[in-house]
Amino acid sequence: MTVLAGIFLGLGFFFIFTGALGILRFPDFYTRLHATGKSDMLGVGLMVLGTAILEGPTLNGLKIVLVIFVVALASPTATHALGRAAHRAGLVPWPARKGEP
Amino acid sequence: MMHGFLVSLALGIALTMLLSLYRLLHGPTLWDRLTGLGLVGTKTIVLLLLIGRITGREDIFVDITLAYTLISFIGALALAKYFEGKETA
Repeated sequence: MTVLAGIFLGLGFFFIFTGALGILRFPDFYTRLHATGKSDMLGVGLMVLGTAILEGPTLNGLKIVLVIFVVALASPTATHALGRAAHRAGLVPWPARKGEP
Repeated sequence: MMHGFLVSLALGIALTMLLSLYRLLHGPTLWDRLTGLGLVGTKTIVLLLLIGRITGREDIFVDITLAYTLISFIGALALAKYFEGKETA
């Protein structure tokens, strides 16, 4: 069980680190949102699942699983609200090629 | 051995939060800053759970994590709604 939790924690950390690298390196707001919105949710879910496995089937373990559900509801909603708000405020996406509008 | 692994994971999460903090401080537009803010918020969830596991006080840290998750989500939604109609791009 400890080995399984370690695997989940390591995988989640890999996804979180990849999302942070994406928010540093991508050229534009929409591409950065695309990089972080999915990898961050997956990484946080995997790491919280790893701590839930470490905790075992107790009341605290159930609460940690509840954290996963809350994050799975909240994170895509917040990402979508941010993207729509930026689009309505008139932020123009990064062009596919330089020189084209 | 598990304890050292958890401590190193918590340190790695803190380093990743610093990477997101760069985008929060130096973002070209307001929306980049908001994205960095949300990213720091979601990493704090994992960091709180890891700290609770390391110090052996899961019973209080789990409740703090649940409350922080809801507050962070409501804050992100409120900021996005507040800046939605404004021409800030």
